[in-house]
Parts: sequence; C-alpha cells; structure tokens
Amino acid sequence: MKHRVSNTKLHSKVYRGGKKEATQSYSTIRRGADDAGNKGRRRKAAWLKDPMNVIITGVGGQGNVLASRVLAGMLVNAGFYVTIGETFGMSQRGGSVMSHLRISQKSIMSPQIPLGQADIIIALEPVEALRVLIKYGNPKVAVLANSRVVYPIGVITGELNYPSLNEIKNVLQKTAARSWLIDATEAAVALGNPVLSNVVIIGALAAVNLLPIDRKAFVKEIAKNMAADKQKNNLAAFAAGFQLIQ
Amino acid sequence: MKVLMSGNEAIARGMYEAGIRFAAAYPGTPSTEILEEFAKYDGVYAEWSPNEKVALEVAIGAALAGEKAVAVMKHVGVNVAADPLFTVSYTGINGALVIISADDPSLHSSQNEQDNRNYAKFAKIPMLEPADAQEAKEFIKLAFTISEKFDTPVFLRSTTRVSHSKSVVSLEEPIPYIDKTAITYNTTKYVMVPANARIRRVAVEKRTLALKTFANSFPENKLEINNPDVGIITAGMPYNYAKDVFPDYSYLKLGMVYPLPEKLIREFAAKVKKIYVIEELDQFLEEQIKAMGISVIGKEIFPYTNEFDPGIIQNAINNQNKATDLPVKSIPPRPPNLCPGCPHRGLFYTLNKLKLFVTGDIGCYTLSFMKPLEGLHSCICMGASIGMAHGMSKALKEKGKGKIVGVIGDSTFIHSGITPLLNMAYNKSNAVIIICDNSTTAMTGMQEHPATGYTLLGEKTKQLDLKVLVSALGIDNIRVVDPYDLKNTRAVIKEELAKDGPSVVISQRPCVLFKRAKLKAQKPLQVDPEKCTGCKVCLGLGCPPISWKKMEKKEGSKREGVSVIDENLCNGCGLCLQVCKFEAIK
Repeated sequence: MKHRVSNTKLHSKVYRGGKKEATQSYSTIRRGADDAGNKGRRRKAAWLKDPMNVIITGVGGQGNVLASRVLAGMLVNAGFYVTIGETFGMSQRGGSVMSHLRISQKSIMSPQIPLGQADIIIALEPVEALRVLIKYGNPKVAVLANSRVVYPIGVITGELNYPSLNEIKNVLQKTAARSWLIDATEAAVALGNPVLSNVVIIGALAAVNLLPIDRKAFVKEIAKNMAADKQKNNLAAFAAGFQLIQ
Repeated sequence: MKVLMSGNEAIARGMYEAGIRFAAAYPGTPSTEILEEFAKYDGVYAEWSPNEKVALEVAIGAALAGEKAVAVMKHVGVNVAADPLFTVSYTGINGALVIISADDPSLHSSQNEQDNRNYAKFAKIPMLEPADAQEAKEFIKLAFTISEKFDTPVFLRSTTRVSHSKSVVSLEEPIPYIDKTAITYNTTKYVMVPANARIRRVAVEKRTLALKTFANSFPENKLEINNPDVGIITAGMPYNYAKDVFPDYSYLKLGMVYPLPEKLIREFAAKVKKIYVIEELDQFLEEQIKAMGISVIGKEIFPYTNEFDPGIIQNAINNQNKATDLPVKSIPPRPPNLCPGCPHRGLFYTLNKLKLFVTGDIGCYTLSFMKPLEGLHSCICMGASIGMAHGMSKALKEKGKGKIVGVIGDSTFIHSGITPLLNMAYNKSNAVIIICDNSTTAMTGMQEHPATGYTLLGEKTKQLDLKVLVSALGIDNIRVVDPYDLKNTRAVIKEELAKDGPSVVISQRPCVLFKRAKLKAQKPLQVDPEKCTGCKVCLGLGCPPISWKKMEKKEGSKREGVSVIDENLCNGCGLCLQVCKFEAIK
C-alpha cells in the first residue's frame, strides 16, 4: 500500500524530466546509430529518451507476443522498468496484433502508448507497419519492418487492394525519420522455419542500435525458459537478423 | 524479488501468497490465465467448471465449508453466474469468497461491453479495482480480508488492460495455508426460504452501511493533493493514463469502487476547485458522486465506449481533437480469420452452399460469419444457438423446414447447450444442431473441459461421450462427420435436414493448434499454373495461404490470373483440392 504512494510521487517527478529530454535527445540517438552503421561497427546504444515507446506489430500467429516478451525480458535483465500492453484472444486468429512496450530507467508507465508517440515501430508484416504508423507515428519515429506480406482476407477474396512494396517503402521514407525494410521471413525460411522471423527481427533491432540490447543479452534471456535445441535455432535467427542490417 | 508479470499472473500469485488454495472458473478472455497460472502452484485445488454458474456454486460450497475460495470469470460470465450471485450476497460466507470479473472495454474478445461495476451495486457486494499488476496482487489479498471481516462475497474487477499488461511486480513470501474447513450447520443463514431471506435482506443493508464507513478509511482509497485547481477522481487503469498526461493534478484514486467513500469524496471536493471523474464505460462513479450533490465533469467530455488511453484523456480535458492523418493510402483491414487447416472451414463452407439460416454461438467459428464463408448468421451468447434455432424453426413452421441449423462448439455445448437441446427433444423441434467438436476449448487457448478427458490439474478423468449424452437427452438422429470431407459433410447435413424431428450432427476433428492431438501437418499443396483456369472457387474458402495473382491475358484465353498457395502457411488440409474442378491443386 505504501508502495503505491511513493511510486506515484516518483512517477510525477519523473515524467516532467523525461518528456523534456525526449525532444532534445532523439536526434542524438539517430546520429549515433548512423555513425555506427557507416562504420559497420556497433557501439552500445545510449539511453537518451525516457520512456522509450516501442510498438511491436504483426499478424496473429507470427510470434508477436513472444517477440515482445523476449525484448522486454532483455531490458528487464538490464535493470529497466518495462511495461507491456498487449491484447490477445480473438485477434490471435490471423488478425492484426500489437504490443506496446514502454521502457524507462526511472519508473513504471501506463501500458498504452499515447497516439502519435511511438519512438520505434517493429513490424513483422509491412502493411501492419503502416497501420501502426498512422496512429502512433510522428516525424521522429524509427520503423523496422519485415517486407514479407501476409494478405488479409479482403485482399484474398479480391475485394480490397494490398499496396505494393514500393508504395509501402515510399510511405515509410516520407513519414518516418528512419526505416528499414528487411525480408526476415526469407532469412527464417533459410534456417528451416518461417516462425523464426520474429527472432530475425529482434536480431535486426539489435543491429540498428536503438535499444541497449545485444547478442549476449539475447542469449541470457532465452536461456531462462527455452529448451537447448530451440535456443540454437533462435540464436541463428538472431544472428541472421543482425546480418541483414550490416 | 521483482519480476515482470501480467495482471492475471499477479492475481494468481497474490492468491497463492495469501494462502488461498481453492479456485474454480470457466475460461474466457481476458480472465483465462488467472486460473491457468494459479493451477501451477503447489498444493492448490483449481478446476475448470462447465460454466461460470457452476464455478461460483463450487466456490460458494467451498466457502461454506470454511475454505477461502475464488471464482473467476469474464464479464459476461457473471451474467451466467448471476443467479447464485444475488443470493450468496444474502447468505454471506463462512470462510471467504472472492469473485473475479474481468471486463473487456473495447470488446477486444467479447460480444458486449457491459460494465460489471453495476453488478456490485445491484447485488450489494463490495468491489475492488486494481490499476496494474502490482496492485492486482495486493488487492486480491485485501479482497479476502474484507470478505472475512464483513461476511460478504467480494468482487475483484479487472479489465483487459490490467489483466493482459505486464509490469514489474515485487514478490513476497507466501503465508502458509491453514486448513479451517469443517462441517458446520447454520440453516437460518444458509437456507434462503422467504422467512430466512427477509432477515438476511436486513443484514445485507447493515453490512453495506458498515462497508460505506470502512471505505472512508480503506487505505487504497487515496488522496494525492498536488495542484488544487484540478482534481481527478478515478479508479483502475485510467488512473495510470491520467497520471501519464496530468502528473501535477490532484487525485482521489479509488481502490474500492463500491461502496464509495462519501466522506473522503467530500473532503477531496473541498480541497480542489474543479473535479473530473475519469472512468471507462458507464458513469458509475459520476452518477453516485453527483447524487451526493457534488458537481463534477464526466461523461459530457469523456467517451462512453471503448477503453481509454493517455491521449483520449488529454484530448478530452484540453478540448482538443487531434486528427492524425499521415499521407498514407487506404490500408486493407485485417480482421481475425480461421487458421489454415481449421476444421471449421469445411463445415461453414458447406453450410453457406446449402443456403441455410445458421444460428451461431461463441467460439472461433463465429468468425465464419465474414466473407467469403458467410456460414453463420447470428451470435448472442454462450448456448444461444440451440434455443434460437428451435425458436426460429417453430415460428417459421413449414417455411423453416430444412432451413434452420444451430451451430455450437464442444466446450460451449457443455457450458450451456445441454438444457436447450433437451428442450428441442421435449418440444418436438425440427431444426438440426451441429456440434463443432474440435476436442478442446480452442478460442481461449486449449483449455480442458469434461469431454477432453483431462482436468485443469492435468489428471486423467472420466471423459464425456457427446454421442451418449445427446442420445440421453432424447435425440434419435445422431450423425458424426469429418469436416475435412466436404462431400460427406454436405450429404449428411442434407439428409438430416430432410428428416422430421431434431437431429444432431457432430462435426469432429481436433483444432489444428491443439498439440495433444499430435496432428501432423500434411505436405503443403501447390497450384499447377497450367491447369488453373483462374475461376477463383478456391478463394471462397477464405484460407490464408491461398491468394490470387493477376496475369497478362494470353491471346485467345479468358484467364486473367491464377491462384497461388503460400507453402509457408499451407498445412495441406486438402479442402481446396476438393473444391477445384480442374484438378489444378496437388
């Protein structure tokens, strides 16, 4: 009971500071990552905005929930406060799914990211990237998306059109500060299982250097609750994703 | 120790830490994981009951025996359990009893958006509402304290966002379980005949008065006086949203949403100039606070429907309507769909082709109302398909002959389909009922039920034989089909529709995601682009791997494109192979 009072006070103090920092420091993150990209070497991402708002989206069945839990687990292990907001149930069955991760060094945040305030959007399917970008995007957002399409039912039946990959690319380039479109599914299929594309994306996320995660953190997290044989495949998927960004 | 936990996991942990060892539930999103998680702790008794009414009655029985018991359900489950609920409020409890209601603002996975805080007031039962996982763990313990202290059942209300969000929770040492169970007799308290119930009715009013006084000093009803210009009265998850965007305002955060702490609310009102009441769904707090003669701003600016988020609260208070239009073309919506290889697909494809009226029920198969399957035409609540099919067929008389089918899943049939099916036999119905038996409770994530042969605790048990049950209810025409066999499924349904009297068809095949069924995925199918005429018949199955590829027309050919199958998604069920008239799928 006392816990909540102190927590609340902390919360209000933190927020003001956090918000101010956010606007100033985001460009630093981008520069840092660019530099790293150009040199082909990575340095640990500096923690420059608090909270970081990350959305992981995809199609039910693509392993969206697992991706968000692995990512959150790595950050919790590193000492961050993480809140995950997700909905599952009916949407599992091939519908759009979305997890909100809010990551802070200082306090717990509410599990819903306000509209227009995502910092990073990770999409396991390209059109889902756009769907989230419309609602949560802003001129500073970074988008990492799988380029492999999964057609919604309306497209299958021929009633609706699915935008071309070029159109998607253009929209990403116009509306996001940075974006990467990678064929994570192809990399996963090459490893023998398309389901691994969620982990390929996590590997790519480590490579773009926007969050303080790396191979070591990934190894530690999956060692917690994954069978040894599965760990091997997942590690290969992580490495493949990392390579895609190189 | 601090760990990342969902609200549901935290509730289960809180139960365990508090020495609770008894719980019953029927699965329902967003409540399901509470019992699944609780069942994993050592020494607990946890069961899936056939429905929420039974679950509550089981918990009441345990409480009567002196146990501390929990019944868990989703918001609409409380409707099913409402009968015992209203009267157990009168009897009170012997041990302790907590009812968890997981509400679903925004209808993420539900047929309605009812606000179950109303049940607390209606049934005169106190209700606690946590705002996050940490509070969920604490509040379940407090709920038991209140239950014991006031001899009352207590509600713990969660919402989808509390149940399914994960945040950091501090674990505590569990207190040891103390067995206080015994047989005790107190008929004037527990036999609710009018003479006794009238006496208990008065006891309930006295208890509510005592709880109102208690609410004023309940430590989870908290005042936070910051900026005195604006005060916010709120409870549950909306508190976090409001704190995100208005950290400097003053707050009265209610941990108990019924009964309300009137003295505390007046104290708060005297300290702030203007009050907003922030609550999702009904104006439950607002109405009661206005009835105290306190002026507040509520639903005139906040939405009545859907869950909130920080932005909604900010926009409402700042009177802004942020339009978020980015230069993006229209994006195709992606509603949920039946999985590749789903056994329901073949059945509903057939029902559509037979041009019937299909009364539906609650389950994955409800999704088949959508294009292109369009094989289901109503869905009201658990079990409604059977009563409705009977009612329609009776009302339509000859016009309905051979046209009305009710469809219900195995778990849903056991939940509340048995009595209406008995009614069909008794009242000489002419409709056909199809039980979609996929051997599990698929929609909520493969929970056991009486026909699976296993309990929640993983023990083997007596397995209900659906055929025997249906026969015992008085149904003479019983057929079993495999929905992967389209031809036979169609023939059997047609035969049964032609008969007089009620029929039951059991459409039997395990859910493709059901691991225990050990289904081997068949080889992915392929379309032979030479043989495919582009007729699009296979697209009518609405199967996720099948799509349409436009081609340039060749001279002299009418063909505008061909079907393609994504081999990464296809599980080789073979339905498309059966509908293709040109043998183009292999």
